[in-house]
Amino acid sequence: MAAQRQASSASQTPHISPAELSYLYTSLALPGSPIRPDGRSPTQFRPLTAETDILPGTNGSARVGFADGTQAIVGVKAEVEKTVVTADALKLPQQAKDDYAGNEDGDGNQGSSTGHGSWVQMSIEIPGFRDDDALPVFLSEMMREPLVESVSNGGSGNDEMAGGLKKRLVINKRWHWRLYIDVLLLSQPQSYPLPLLSLTTHLALLSTRLPKLKSKGEEDPFFDDDWGAAEYIYPRALKSKSHLSPSHQVRPPVTLLVISVGENVIFDPSREEIAVADTVLAVSVARDSDSDTLKLLSMRTIDPPSRLTQPGVANSENVATLGSTAAAEEAAILNPSTGEEEVPGVWRPRRGGVKRSTIARMVKLVLQKGGVGEEVLEGLEGVEVG
Amino acid sequence: MKSLRRDFSSDPQTANVTSKIFVRSTKSGKVQKIVRELYLRQDIPCSSKLCSVCPTVAPADANGKIAPFVLSEHPAGTTAFPRGHYLVPDTNALLNGMDLFEHTGAFYDVIILQTVLEELKNQSLPLYNRLLALIKTDEKRFYLFFNEFRMETHVRRGPEESINDRNDRAVRAVAKWYTQHLQASSKKGKKEKALPTIVVITDDKDSLRKAKEEDVTALSLSDYVAGLEDSDRLLDMINESREARGAKGARGELFYPEYFTMSKIMTGLRAGTLHQGVFNVSPYNYLEGLVNVAAFDKPLLILGRDNSNRAISGDVVVIEVLPKEQWKSPSTKIVDEEAVTKNDNPDAEDSEAVVTERERKALQEEVRQAHGKSTEGRPQPTAKVVGMIKRNWRQYVGHVDSGSTGSQASAGRRQQTVFVLPMDKRVPKIRVRTRQAAELLGQRILVTIDAWDRDSRYPTGHFIRSLGELETKGAETEALLLEYDVQYKPFPKAVLDCLPSEGHDWRVPATKEDVGWRGRRDLRDLLICSIDPPGCQDIDDALHARPLPNGNFEVGVHIADVSHFVKPNNAMDLEASVRGTTVYLVDKRIDMLPHLLGTDLCSLKPYVERYAFSVLWEMTPNAEVVSTDFTKSVIRSREAFSYEQAQKRIDDSSKKDELTESMRTLLKFSKILRQKRMDAGALNLASPEVRIETDNDEVGDPLTDVKTKAMLATNSLVEEFMLHANITVAAKIYDTFSQTAMLRRHATPPPQNFEELSNQLAKKRDMRIDVSSSRALADSLDQCVDDKNPFFNTLVRILATRCMTSAEYFCAGAHAESEFRHYGLASPIYTHFTSPIRRYADLLVHRQLASAIGYEGEDGRASVEGVMTRNRLEDICRNINNRHRNAQHAGRASIEYYVGQALKARGEKLSANGVDGGIEEDGYVMRVFENGVVVFVPRFGIEGVVRLEDFVLQGDSSLRSVAERRELVVRRESDFDNEEYTLKVSDKGQPDRGMGVELFQRVKVNVSSVKEESGRGAGKRRVRVLILGAQK
Repeated sequence: MAAQRQASSASQTPHISPAELSYLYTSLALPGSPIRPDGRSPTQFRPLTAETDILPGTNGSARVGFADGTQAIVGVKAEVEKTVVTADALKLPQQAKDDYAGNEDGDGNQGSSTGHGSWVQMSIEIPGFRDDDALPVFLSEMMREPLVESVSNGGSGNDEMAGGLKKRLVINKRWHWRLYIDVLLLSQPQSYPLPLLSLTTHLALLSTRLPKLKSKGEEDPFFDDDWGAAEYIYPRALKSKSHLSPSHQVRPPVTLLVISVGENVIFDPSREEIAVADTVLAVSVARDSDSDTLKLLSMRTIDPPSRLTQPGVANSENVATLGSTAAAEEAAILNPSTGEEEVPGVWRPRRGGVKRSTIARMVKLVLQKGGVGEEVLEGLEGVEVG
Repeated sequence: MKSLRRDFSSDPQTANVTSKIFVRSTKSGKVQKIVRELYLRQDIPCSSKLCSVCPTVAPADANGKIAPFVLSEHPAGTTAFPRGHYLVPDTNALLNGMDLFEHTGAFYDVIILQTVLEELKNQSLPLYNRLLALIKTDEKRFYLFFNEFRMETHVRRGPEESINDRNDRAVRAVAKWYTQHLQASSKKGKKEKALPTIVVITDDKDSLRKAKEEDVTALSLSDYVAGLEDSDRLLDMINESREARGAKGARGELFYPEYFTMSKIMTGLRAGTLHQGVFNVSPYNYLEGLVNVAAFDKPLLILGRDNSNRAISGDVVVIEVLPKEQWKSPSTKIVDEEAVTKNDNPDAEDSEAVVTERERKALQEEVRQAHGKSTEGRPQPTAKVVGMIKRNWRQYVGHVDSGSTGSQASAGRRQQTVFVLPMDKRVPKIRVRTRQAAELLGQRILVTIDAWDRDSRYPTGHFIRSLGELETKGAETEALLLEYDVQYKPFPKAVLDCLPSEGHDWRVPATKEDVGWRGRRDLRDLLICSIDPPGCQDIDDALHARPLPNGNFEVGVHIADVSHFVKPNNAMDLEASVRGTTVYLVDKRIDMLPHLLGTDLCSLKPYVERYAFSVLWEMTPNAEVVSTDFTKSVIRSREAFSYEQAQKRIDDSSKKDELTESMRTLLKFSKILRQKRMDAGALNLASPEVRIETDNDEVGDPLTDVKTKAMLATNSLVEEFMLHANITVAAKIYDTFSQTAMLRRHATPPPQNFEELSNQLAKKRDMRIDVSSSRALADSLDQCVDDKNPFFNTLVRILATRCMTSAEYFCAGAHAESEFRHYGLASPIYTHFTSPIRRYADLLVHRQLASAIGYEGEDGRASVEGVMTRNRLEDICRNINNRHRNAQHAGRASIEYYVGQALKARGEKLSANGVDGGIEEDGYVMRVFENGVVVFVPRFGIEGVVRLEDFVLQGDSSLRSVAERRELVVRRESDFDNEEYTLKVSDKGQPDRGMGVELFQRVKVNVSSVKEESGRGAGKRRVRVLILGAQK
């Protein structure tokens, strides 16, 4: 039950003693060159294997497995649905003729032409969790949000994706596609599963295809029965445009998990690393099709599990070691995240809070040219899709 | 970061598992991606008798037998393939040349691929069914090879490969595999030399080219046929449209608007802006069609070729209502395609417009009429065809328009285009390319329509076969049967095998211990007799009546027990359910059941014992039914009377024997029953029927054979009891089978159907017909009498009958009980029970009744035989309703043809100076058009169209030849009053010498049979009716 209660925070806290926590923290917080337990560099990701189109019955699917054994499968199904148009919106065309000022009613109509966020439904299943537990709900909302809100500003020949995913789901004024993204974590989460799920979802969406529309305009939709003719939901660069690098394609966003420990920023944290993090941040980025740079779509802080850890007891306060505390007390410094005096080597649960400059650094590391974000996206682009 | 894709190529299991992926759209609008897994096998046989391997591996059925191998060891060779060959056609080859593949002279040993069969199914269901039938027959040696399931021949679709290319590749892969397989597996000693060539038949140029590269023998259909004997005739049978498409593709002139896309149609239908219905063409005006749609009470009018947009009568079309300013009234003219377009040249397509000037003029006349003010002339909503749901094209009987062959007729075997005029006037002429134009002139031929493209004014089709010389009995009869889709082929062996092995020697078992007697009552001592038309062989019914000790009477109706001989679901039963009914032509009867049953074993012949199904009533002397009993029985009919004989016997007061007395009782009761029925509001309808007695000798006037049906009291005697039996049985089976009882209903006609007739009556005779109920209608019809014109009442009844819907079979669950009513008979429930020899519905009712009374039959299974699922029953109903209607039409057409022949024979015998004088008769005006009238001649039961030139005015000689008459056309003018239904005909400038006719008027007509000598359809015979003068 304890694990369940903590589920809303970044992960189940591993059972690590305060001394270990303190050790980990000190290693990771080493200024300039943190030492990670698995020897990775701060921006290095764990190796992973990925494949797409593994579920023939879906419109698109992917499987990603981390080397630590966690695996996720994502299946995307699409369904045609009638767009509910409000009465106001129906009247609008007539109103527009005699009443140009009637702009307030535009909302209902907007839904039918620019799409609606609720057309993408995401459900996440994690072993050991009910589907209404906080973790799956929170995770799915965290991934859905950047997905539907990512809107490129048109241009660069990718008109189809001009309105983002939700615009892409519009068939015509009366019909739209509804996407069901089913995310399945196959193993117990070894670490906070967000990056894994996000990468898998990204790949699954890349491989997602919708039947080719044969009808035109405002007709009831009618589709080509040849699956081979189905079109990718995120359109591919045409062969003829091969001089354009594949990165010019519009791609779904990815959400990265970044932690800060002391002054250091660490990517793709393992469970132990999260346990001592000062801050945990989910950063969603996507490529901006206009400028070929990355842009930040959303950023959320995640309640760091370090808050819930047991504090260590300083020797000075320890009844058993009362005699030898003098040296330790001298070394005490004020820790910014715990807000109290800290004795080196003694673990204090973090209380949250992060410096502005740290966040800025995190974002910069993600977005900068040649940064982590680009590296991840390039890695994903390397996965053969379809 | 590294990605990894699992590699399946090393897994040996993956080779025989593959999948097929497609998108399916459901009716509710859902779109699903469907994935089917496919497990490939290696034991699907090649089915060649040459192969020594396949027989050892082919899968066996439950009895351990493998399917017999189909393809011959010594397939036929041609000059190109002297070693013999197996054919592998692709889908297009079958689409274009199905008639060829059915031809018995060539096309043996054909390998049909599953791929091809499935593709064909998607493209044309009728062709698919024909191909299935071909595969089933043994003699043509067609083998269905499941190539998609055999590992070696399964083809995976490559990236960027179109479905068509993939399927073509599959065909070539099969050809390759067969070649290799036969080489490897053929029996020793046959190697190399005698191996048949595998020939791919494809019309696809790309595929032909690739075949060449891959070293596969491939030919186009026409190239292959050209190498056969009799190639000229066979080449004509290739579907024209597809071949021609390549040739004229670039030529851009499009005559017809394009159909809407399927999605647009579906959107419109759902939104209610478009409507769907069956396109029906008016028999009087080929440019005018009606479509009945669910949304409106009255049918919508479709005027002109533009609006009908390539629809042919019978097609299921989607229509759009035209704006109100384009609404028109229905035509008041008789427009005959042959007459209007006779000068069209089939080859000169470039100059032709869809609507010729003449046609446009014909339409303009109608527009003018539309502005009239009477109800008759009020503009009606019109519509245009915008989409095609289902083509209902069939094979059409027709003849080559001699005008269209022109001077080329003598040009020998060069291919040329001719027009074929279908017998069915509602079908436009069909453009057919043929090499045998000269031979086909003057023949009845069978053609089919292949396509009607936007750039062609007429549909294109191809020739199938010739039925024989025009006007020969054989050809005309076959034409009739084909036109009305009557199954006239002899019964197949499988059906004849179902007959009792004793044949004509079958007898009712002598001892009552025999199983045949189980559940049967012995009624052999009853004085039963049958009354039928003279010469009747298939006697369905017999009757008896006898007094009971309590003063009441026992009355029995005994029906031939056909269900004893025809067991459900055997070949004979299935054949009968397809045929649905026996078809009576003047000189021919097409039986529903084999001759042995129909005319002997089932037929209730006199003096012999027969199985019967009896309905027995106890009736009071006032014909009130006290009790009813149903039983299977054995009877012995005492006598088979004709109606006349029976009447004489009854009238002969000297006869006092029991049989005669019982007939008198029956007659008395039948009169009471009839009166009761009439009181309940039964309609006394009339149809223009004549009867032909063909047994007359050759001398004398052939027309004496043509007799109007006389109605004797004995006719109605039999009829009343049959109706009574039917009603009784209907109630019984409905009681037992509330969902699946086989019933017959006659829907109450909607009042608007009678609108026109009641207008006409009110105007011309100041009579009213009341259509509020059948009773009211029956009474008001009785009021429609003209003292000077005794036939007038019958005429009104004929017209009233045409306003009604036709009766139909249905299964009880299909309608609410209140809808069961039989309008014409004024009975709340009705079925057919009394003619199982000639109607399939009756046979089903017999089974249901047997089941309802708990009769178990010889094997104890009869009680379940009557039980059927509703779905199956509804299928049967649809079929027999259709067959029933066709049989009636065929019968009528046959009489019409015979009357024409009789007139012709008379004309030849009695002609004076080579000109047929015709015969003078009374006729009645049934319809008035602007340029003619329709006259009904009761003596011959025919309706004739009388055009302006066919009015014989004062001073005209009536004996003018057709050609002379034609010249009159330009001189004649008419004055048509649409509201008064009158037409005044006169020569131009001589209005005083004119003649006026009006609706319902009795006129003197001259009927003769004439042969068209020039212009359209030379050699075609028709009955010509001339109006000589009015009779008041």
